[in-house]
Amino acid sequence: MLADFNFRIIFEYLPLFLEGLRSTFFISIVSIFLALITGIIACACRISPFKLLKYPAIAYIEIIRSTPLLVQIYFLYFGLPTLGVRVPEIQTGIIALMLNSGAYIAEIIRAGITSVDDGQIEAGVSSGLNYLQRMRFIILPQAIGATVPPLLGQSIVLVKDSALLSLISVMELTRVGQTMTSERFMPAEAFFTVAFFYMCIYFCLKALADWSQKKLIFREAY
Amino acid sequence: MIEFKHVNKWFGKLHVLDDVNLEIDKGEVLVICGPSGSGKSTLIRCINRLEPIQEGEIVVDGVPVHDKATNLTKLRADIGFVFQQFHLYPHMTVLQNVMLAPVNVRKIPSDKAEEIAREKLIQVGLTDKAGAYPAQLSGGQQQRVAIARGLAMSPKIMLFDEPTSALDPEMIGEVLDVMVNLVSEGMTMCVVTHEMGFARKVADRVLFMDMGKIVETGKPDEFFDNPQTHRAADFISKILTH
Repeated sequence: MLADFNFRIIFEYLPLFLEGLRSTFFISIVSIFLALITGIIACACRISPFKLLKYPAIAYIEIIRSTPLLVQIYFLYFGLPTLGVRVPEIQTGIIALMLNSGAYIAEIIRAGITSVDDGQIEAGVSSGLNYLQRMRFIILPQAIGATVPPLLGQSIVLVKDSALLSLISVMELTRVGQTMTSERFMPAEAFFTVAFFYMCIYFCLKALADWSQKKLIFREAY
Repeated sequence: MIEFKHVNKWFGKLHVLDDVNLEIDKGEVLVICGPSGSGKSTLIRCINRLEPIQEGEIVVDGVPVHDKATNLTKLRADIGFVFQQFHLYPHMTVLQNVMLAPVNVRKIPSDKAEEIAREKLIQVGLTDKAGAYPAQLSGGQQQRVAIARGLAMSPKIMLFDEPTSALDPEMIGEVLDVMVNLVSEGMTMCVVTHEMGFARKVADRVLFMDMGKIVETGKPDEFFDNPQTHRAADFISKILTH
């Protein structure tokens, strides 16, 4: 079976694959960065006592989490032009990934914050520390340590989710596989290569996640 | 120093504080005991407004605690609170735990604050643990750090909410010793505890609560040897027999 596997064509298409890899990489990095900002803002609103901030944040998070990413991508891709907003596919894709991951990241950060024991917060309150001081000195240092590994997990999800952008013809890794398939009809070779590159990204991020797990979780138990 | 005037508090339908009237003098050591759920923890948690009240007034050192205009930061900074579960900050060293509030609430420069913190750690007998993390300490040591953390703010009042209940028996003594030491320095203290030995030794007054009411108050020896109410007698016999 392996004898039938055409490695030559993979090498022939390698420049295109690398171009796709570069594009996937670029889309992922930008989307993760923007999603992180979105997530932090959404989380801050979500836990704020002000209803005007809190309820829109809940609505945003729940809408994103209750609908498929593909639907969200199509919604933006077909919906934005009807609203008169014309943006290139790649930007539509990045916005979709940003909004999607942002909602999950908001919940990850919230989980990190609420994981800090209430008693410590009371201890802070009773020694006279105000809300911002408690956040800065007690809650965030512990929440960040607890948040980084799941955030890297979410980044891995986002990289794989970016494959869906091939459906709105963004020329990323998966799209390259589709292109090769339609030009040469060698889907096995095409998607074997695509999968290989995704795995490369995955293992890099996983190594980072494992490292951060060791490094950032503070020494709780001896 | 602390005054409760007709204080009422409900948790939903549960009447946790039922018309509480109480005066605690400067330098007085008050021990509060009573069955679980009787409202004793809630009572001391109201003193620094960790809990709101629905009726009545609490005045601490002339300041109405539950008044909207009250400077809560100042009020709380002057009242040390020691919890049953210690609640140290696990990501900070012992020294950082003790210094946090003095530096950020009292705005004491950090070199001066460190000096104070080390002094307080000596006072609770933990000279060599300044650089350790809470998880590296025993329960008794953690609770002593928590006491040092309270003392570093130079409080006027120290509140203790069952400070020895979460400790292994052999560690109770070291924490009580620190507290007895504090009494001899003239600190105003409210201690929720069932440690009768401690109460007999240092308390000026014992207050017995049940169902949100102050049922009985008295000198420790009188209270434990000759309780006036049936409810208190029943309670004392129970904590004696185990």
